[in-house]
Amino acid sequence: MVSGGNASSIPLISGSPEPTIKDLSSKGRKAYNFPKLDVPDKLIKNNILREDFPNLPEVSEHDLVMHFTRLAHRNFAVDLGSYPLGSCTMKYNPRFADSIAAIPAFTETHPATPDYLTQGNLSVLKEIQKILLEITGMENISFQPPAGASGELTGLLMIRAYHKEKGNQHKNKIIVPDSAHGTNPASASMAGFEVLEVPTNSDGAVDIEVLNQIVDDTVAGLMLTNPNTAGLFETEIVEICKIIHSVDGLLYYDGANLNAIVGVSRPGDMGFDIVHTNLHKTFATPHGGGGPGAGPVAVKSFLKDYLPGPVIEQVNEEIKWVYPSKSIGRMHGYHGNFLVILRALVYMLLLGKEGLSNLGKMAVLNARYLSLKIEESIPLAYKQPCMHEFVVTVKHLKKSHQIRAYDVGKALLDRGYHSPTIYFPLIIEEALMFEPTETQTIDTLNDLADTIASIIKDVRDGLVDITNAPFNLPISRPNELIAAKYLTLKWGDFEDLDIDNRME
Amino acid sequence: MTFTPHSSADIKTMLDELGLSSHDDLFNHIPKELYLSDDIDIEESKSELELIEYFNNLSNKNIQDLVCFAGDGHYDTYLPHTVKSLTMRPEFMTSYTPYQAEVSQGVLQALFEFQSLVADLTDMDLANASLYDGATAVVEAISMSITKTKRAKILISEGLNLRSVETLKTIINTDEISIEVLKYDKDFIHKLVATNDEIACVVFSLPTCHGSVQDYLEINEQLKEKGIMSICLIDPSLLGVIKSPGTMGFDIVVAEGQALGSALSFGGPTVGWFATKKEYARLVPGRLIGETIDKDNNKAYVMTLRAREQDIRRAKASSNICTNQTLNAIGSAIHLSWLGPHGLREMGYQSMQKAHYLSDKLSSNFLLPLNNNFIREFLVDVDTRTPEEVIRKMSKKGYLAGISVKKDNKKYLLVAVTEKRTKRELDGYADALQEVVYG
Repeated sequence: MVSGGNASSIPLISGSPEPTIKDLSSKGRKAYNFPKLDVPDKLIKNNILREDFPNLPEVSEHDLVMHFTRLAHRNFAVDLGSYPLGSCTMKYNPRFADSIAAIPAFTETHPATPDYLTQGNLSVLKEIQKILLEITGMENISFQPPAGASGELTGLLMIRAYHKEKGNQHKNKIIVPDSAHGTNPASASMAGFEVLEVPTNSDGAVDIEVLNQIVDDTVAGLMLTNPNTAGLFETEIVEICKIIHSVDGLLYYDGANLNAIVGVSRPGDMGFDIVHTNLHKTFATPHGGGGPGAGPVAVKSFLKDYLPGPVIEQVNEEIKWVYPSKSIGRMHGYHGNFLVILRALVYMLLLGKEGLSNLGKMAVLNARYLSLKIEESIPLAYKQPCMHEFVVTVKHLKKSHQIRAYDVGKALLDRGYHSPTIYFPLIIEEALMFEPTETQTIDTLNDLADTIASIIKDVRDGLVDITNAPFNLPISRPNELIAAKYLTLKWGDFEDLDIDNRME
Repeated sequence: MTFTPHSSADIKTMLDELGLSSHDDLFNHIPKELYLSDDIDIEESKSELELIEYFNNLSNKNIQDLVCFAGDGHYDTYLPHTVKSLTMRPEFMTSYTPYQAEVSQGVLQALFEFQSLVADLTDMDLANASLYDGATAVVEAISMSITKTKRAKILISEGLNLRSVETLKTIINTDEISIEVLKYDKDFIHKLVATNDEIACVVFSLPTCHGSVQDYLEINEQLKEKGIMSICLIDPSLLGVIKSPGTMGFDIVVAEGQALGSALSFGGPTVGWFATKKEYARLVPGRLIGETIDKDNNKAYVMTLRAREQDIRRAKASSNICTNQTLNAIGSAIHLSWLGPHGLREMGYQSMQKAHYLSDKLSSNFLLPLNNNFIREFLVDVDTRTPEEVIRKMSKKGYLAGISVKKDNKKYLLVAVTEKRTKRELDGYADALQEVVYG
């Protein structure tokens, strides 16, 4: 069978750089058009008005469209090929959701429009609220956070406010596993907490013995994904929650890996008090090359008064914006990333009961199957059964053939697949983390595994030097040291560098 | 519709190879009490056709086609179809953050062009690759000034919009940082300069949340002498007609970028801009795209200064930001390129002329406290009515009349006019407002 997820046919023409839109600029060209001014042209005086024109390129509309279309051609995407990037859940994003998110009555609402005029938008939030709470096993929600990291910060600020209210200011530590996403410790320290790391045991799970030792009355809470970042279900989760709750700490669920457990298990039942969900991962809204996302935060009811606001509330026939009584405040200028939330609702309704109930099961089936296939050429970091993603390590190849995880990722790019996540979690040497998602066919999984096997075989047979890969793409390996040393962040900056410096 | 491609034969093959007899066996290791035995309690799957009807019904609950006079950072500007269709390119829409540069030159170059366009337009040295929105960009700017100056006090101009103030008060740790609001008055600068050396930054807004404008050059020179960082939240869609913030000497310029490249979208997704001086590059929050060369000496773009970021620096990162607003930033880049210098001028000029036309018309019946010191947004004193009441009544006449804002403990209607408004709409608005307030 043929792999539908192999992108090796994409017409990327290597070698010639695309000029910048500024390179394409020529005085007098234009793309814009506006109607003629239909009010009297009056002399307006103000010393803030400028005489000159702003510094922007002048291009024709055709040049503009060709330029950005060619840039699009120089980019891999879920719509082009399999994207097994661990921890990122790069599943298919239904096109249909985009058409709903383009309905003018949704896109053209000014965010300051009062609630009684925007009952449609608030109904969208009400509908998705119901489903998200059901899936996560939580009781109340705020849609403010525009991304996962913002959701984490929201949760931590709520933990801080909760303890402060109870007079527990001495609770100033947040426990984070050493395998956690970098956003966890970064968010915790932004919220003013000291970060305490708990190590991972040899089975890839939180080391309960150490956890018991480090937990004391100064612990405000613990952040965890389940499955964890090694793709393994924390089977002792109920015990972990007990330990933290025993010192009146709160449990924060990082929703980055929620895709594994939709329909399988619920964070609320495990004992978590606060949960964020990444709608752009689990609920299939497009990642947009790095956003927009959405990271709504759901809580158990004893924390609802601390949620950032406004939140929605049904009052008789009308849905209203209300501010929770002890709200931590606001995490976004308005109501979070509404159109992303809308897309996620469309996805949920398309899947319905059967699709959502089986979501985690299919994601885990694909990952477990792929792990079995890839294990034939690269050993797994942990033998425990994986959930929606798994980690393999090429540390032995590093020793024997000086091949690193980085090189294997680049070799995959050359053969029509996106690289898995590399060097994460940090605790695993030469890690490659694969998350196939549920939307790939068995044929694609087989071909991906075969492709990896053939890369490894070629390396072992000395047929190819992948330390210089890729060879077939618009650029070869970029020099990141030059970029960081000279920081040419704007057009013209690089050309201004001394040529000898550039060629070092 | 599940989007899972597995036939029952596929599932059987996979389970057989895994040595499992049923799908549930995948989860034998999960504690029984945590394993869901029932289906999720939601409705059956709906088809696209059914959902079109469903969402049309939902959207019809919004009161539609109100002529928009609301602003305060988000503006009903014209978003060309060219921008919409190019940002819908699946290669931009369905890619992840460009960690793998060799297959991500499209997004990387588009973001590099965004950074360059923002830097050029604001007359700052450099810009980052986007933040969530204007309000959160203000917070990141303040955090950066605190890191840089190691001072514990920040001053906020009363011209900063309420939502930004609420956001910064939520995120900035007020146990450690004190926040003070500055009133506009004649002693404004003297007070500032006279204050002690504990001030990390002053946050201004241009225009203010009341619509007024001023040149901050002189103030910024005095702040500089005190080592106080000067931050400004701007409306970038006015930069075709007003002086750029870079020429006024700000250290950090942030913007709500919605009016350039994003639909109103009920407030999100839009995009936050962040521009600063070269000397602060290593403190900048969020992603930075740099130009470099590849192994074959071809031009190449990469994410750079990655060591500032959360996935490497963890608890010591300059910000926790990961996913931000790439697609909206690309939208800004395309919209700015579509407009060019003359288009951006035209957009700003028409807004300004139309706003002044409306203000002149209203001035015969209403008190307008700004005295013409505005570009496209101004305050209207609605006399004995409340702005909320006026907004409700105006909506019945087909207008989103504006936003209720407070100034000196009095509520006003803040009215914004974009280039999209026609003379007919402006005349109609003036008549309707007259009727609602005095009728």
